[in-house]
Amino acid sequence: MESELPTFKEKNPQLEVVTELIRGQHPHLKGFYKNKNERVVCVKNMTPEDILLYGTRLRNALGRKVVKLKTRHVTKHPSVQGTWTTDVKF
Amino acid sequence: MAHRRCLHSALLHGTALISLKKSPPLSIVNALTPKPNPVITTSNLEPSWFTPWFYVRHFSSRKSDDSENEAEMEDSSDVEEESDEMASDMVRDYSPGEKEAEAAAIGYKVVGPLQRSDRVFKDYEPVFAVVQIGSHQFKVSNGDSIFTERLKFCEVNDKLILNKVLLLGSPTQTIIGRPILPDAAVHAVVEEHALDAKVIIFKKKRRKNYRRTKGHRQELTKLRITYIQGIEKPEIKTDGKPLKAADKKPEKIAAIA
Repeated sequence: MESELPTFKEKNPQLEVVTELIRGQHPHLKGFYKNKNERVVCVKNMTPEDILLYGTRLRNALGRKVVKLKTRHVTKHPSVQGTWTTDVKF
Repeated sequence: MAHRRCLHSALLHGTALISLKKSPPLSIVNALTPKPNPVITTSNLEPSWFTPWFYVRHFSSRKSDDSENEAEMEDSSDVEEESDEMASDMVRDYSPGEKEAEAAAIGYKVVGPLQRSDRVFKDYEPVFAVVQIGSHQFKVSNGDSIFTERLKFCEVNDKLILNKVLLLGSPTQTIIGRPILPDAAVHAVVEEHALDAKVIIFKKKRRKNYRRTKGHRQELTKLRITYIQGIEKPEIKTDGKPLKAADKKPEKIAAIA
C-alpha cells in the first residue's frame, strides 16, 4: 500500500487522500462523495494490489446507492418526434 | 451402477465393454461365465494388454465410474493453468496505442482527450440517435445517461465518440442508415465505472442434496450523451412552442446508400 499510495495521489490531484492509523479496528478504505455519501470497504488481509483496485473502484464510482437498475437508459425527454399512439398516421 | 463397480474391483482387468452395458440384475450371472474364457484365451497377452486396457478405460465414453475422478483432476489442473495464462495475456497485451484503437473499434467507440473546463453539457436539443455499443442498441438524445458493459481503455471523465449510429431523427427529418451512417457521430462522456448491485445465483436440486450459492456483480460504465452530429437541428429560439407544433409530422427521407 505504501508503495502505491504516492502514484495514486499523483494520478488524482483532485482527491484528498488521508492516512490514519486506527487501533482496535480492521483497516478500511473510506470514500466521501459529493452527495454526502460514504462508502466503506474493509481491506483486512488484502495485498497492496487488491487495495489499489478497491481504491480505484471507489474513485471511479459516483456516490449513488448500489441498487439494482430499473432501466439501462435514463432520459428526461423520451420522445423527439412525438409519442406514438394508435391515432398517429405517417 | 453398484453392480458395475463390483465387477471392476473383482476382476482388476480391463473388462469387456459389452458386459458393462448389460442391465445390472442379469449381468452378474451372465457376465461371469464369459469372462474366464477371454482371460484364458488371451493369457499370454495379458501383461501387454494390462496397460492399454487401463488407457482404454480412461478414454472410454462411459465416464460414470471411479476412474472419472482421476481423469477430472488432471484435466481441471491443465485447464486452470491455461486460463491463468490467457487472463494474464489479456491484461498486459494492450500497451501499444494501435491495439487499443483496434479494440475500441470493436466496441464502437473512439476515446478522445480528457476535458477540463470544457462546456460540454448543452441544453436539450430535440434530436435523437440510435447508437450501438457492443451488442446493445440505445435510442439516445442529448443529456441522457446510458449504462453499458465496462468499457476498457477509458477512464472517468473521458470523451468518447460512438461511431456506430444506425438512425438519426429530429422533429422534421429522419435519416436511416444501412446499417450504419458513415458521417454521423455521437459524443459522450464517461461518468463512472461502477459495479452493479449483487445478484445471488442460487441453484438447487430438490431431494438431491445439491445447493450452490454464487454472488455476481456486473461491471458497468455510465455514459452521458452530450452531442449528436450528422443531422440538421431545428433552431429553437424564444418562439419554440409554435415551431415545434408545426413541425411535428416528420418527413421521412429514404436511406443513404
